[in-house]
Amino acid sequence: MVYTRKHPALLIIGVVLLAHGFLIAGGYMGGVVKYLSLTRVVNEMTTLSYIFGAIAVIVGLWQWLGSHREGNFDYYSSTIAGGVFILFVAMIVKWYLAPEVAVLSRAIGPIAGTAAKPTYLHTVLGLNYVVLGIVAGMITVNVFKIPDWAQNGVRLSRLGLKTGVILLGTLYSLKELAKLGQLSVVMIGFFVLGSAWLVLLIGAQRKISNSMGGVLAAGVGVCGVSAAVAAAPVVKARSDEIAYTIGTILVFGVICMFLFPVVGHSLGMSYVQFGAWAGTGILNSAQVAGAALAFQPTGDLETLKVGEIFNITRVLFLPIIVLWLAVWYVRRETAAGGTVEQVNTGRIIIEKFPIFVLGFILMFALASTGAFTSKMIPYFRDWLTWLFAFGLTGLGMQITLAAMRQAGGEPLVIGSVVGILKAVLSLIVVLLFVRGTI
Amino acid sequence: MIDKKSQDIDLQTTESGFKYHRGSALSIFKTDRYEDFIALACALVIALGVYILIK
Repeated sequence: MVYTRKHPALLIIGVVLLAHGFLIAGGYMGGVVKYLSLTRVVNEMTTLSYIFGAIAVIVGLWQWLGSHREGNFDYYSSTIAGGVFILFVAMIVKWYLAPEVAVLSRAIGPIAGTAAKPTYLHTVLGLNYVVLGIVAGMITVNVFKIPDWAQNGVRLSRLGLKTGVILLGTLYSLKELAKLGQLSVVMIGFFVLGSAWLVLLIGAQRKISNSMGGVLAAGVGVCGVSAAVAAAPVVKARSDEIAYTIGTILVFGVICMFLFPVVGHSLGMSYVQFGAWAGTGILNSAQVAGAALAFQPTGDLETLKVGEIFNITRVLFLPIIVLWLAVWYVRRETAAGGTVEQVNTGRIIIEKFPIFVLGFILMFALASTGAFTSKMIPYFRDWLTWLFAFGLTGLGMQITLAAMRQAGGEPLVIGSVVGILKAVLSLIVVLLFVRGTI
Repeated sequence: MIDKKSQDIDLQTTESGFKYHRGSALSIFKTDRYEDFIALACALVIALGVYILIK
């Protein structure tokens, strides 16, 4: 199969980006830049427009007019169109839509706070480039559909998120990691094991199958989709049981991603408090990043740093959960008089463990050697902002209503009950015991 | 569903039939692990780029 579509869309995007870069650099859009308070990002707008405009024009011309043959080169190069499409949507949202929403929100006037520190509607609702990017992605896929020429490349978004998480390792100091690490191990240890146990308990009472209970416990307890997938072989879960779990995690995670920042702002939570809560209460890695960035989209990204430490700690609990579920499943099945086919749990743990977590640790180790100076940190932050903007906009493009309809029945009820309980209890713990800054 | 790769679990695929010949609805890569290694390579390239250009 030839994946490259002979279509002028990428070329057109490239020309638009080059023209945009030219207009910004030449000062022809000075009025818009001033109105939307974009002076700070003029250099970024010019540079990114030129770079990705040039790439899109060259690749777009070749994709449209060239001849393409089946193979690896065709497969991977065809993804460029979708990647540029995500980036184009993210640029529109970050440079124009989110600032416009902020301008309109300020025009309404403050809804809370003091005269010295007013709070506006867009801040409380978290209507920044992260949330709007995800919404734009969801509208694109569910209302307009992803264009044919971009379908293959839209699947690059998760790569962007994983690269972002690994690169995030450059921003931590040893002191920060030690402090956050202790806090996260205690909180995650309690909530991961507690929620997994609760799912198994309620599952047994509601008489769902052991395999369904096991895979749901891993998904709700640890880190969403990856954990459900890792636990599936040891509890012999069927495809439909995994689909139910993924659907439940997706529905719950999407709601949390939008709701958490609103609650966080309403309660006046600090960056550390919100990061700890999001990292504990939200089930899926990408959605933790989404909520953390929605809460604090710019600046030093402290919320993202805290949230990801909690998220990574949770992933580190994956082997414990898989081992626990393996033992639990064998006991339950044997007690019920069944026979259990042996599986190599150790091999499954090694095979399924997410390597990007080790990448994060490697990057942190590099940063700890002092290789990255303070002058370099702002550049890493800029990279991170764009990698997450790209990844989360693309994530929105993968949240289809059809996928969410996969959730339902007992797994949705049990998953929601435990998920809500975990979110509420972790919020109380965070508000009571988590203090300070990083 | 026993011992299959996560890439086989693909909501869009199960709904609308086989959609992608390679990778899954969530990734262009054949396995999660392969995607992790590519992400690691990308992150190292970015870090090296920042290191060389800003140093």
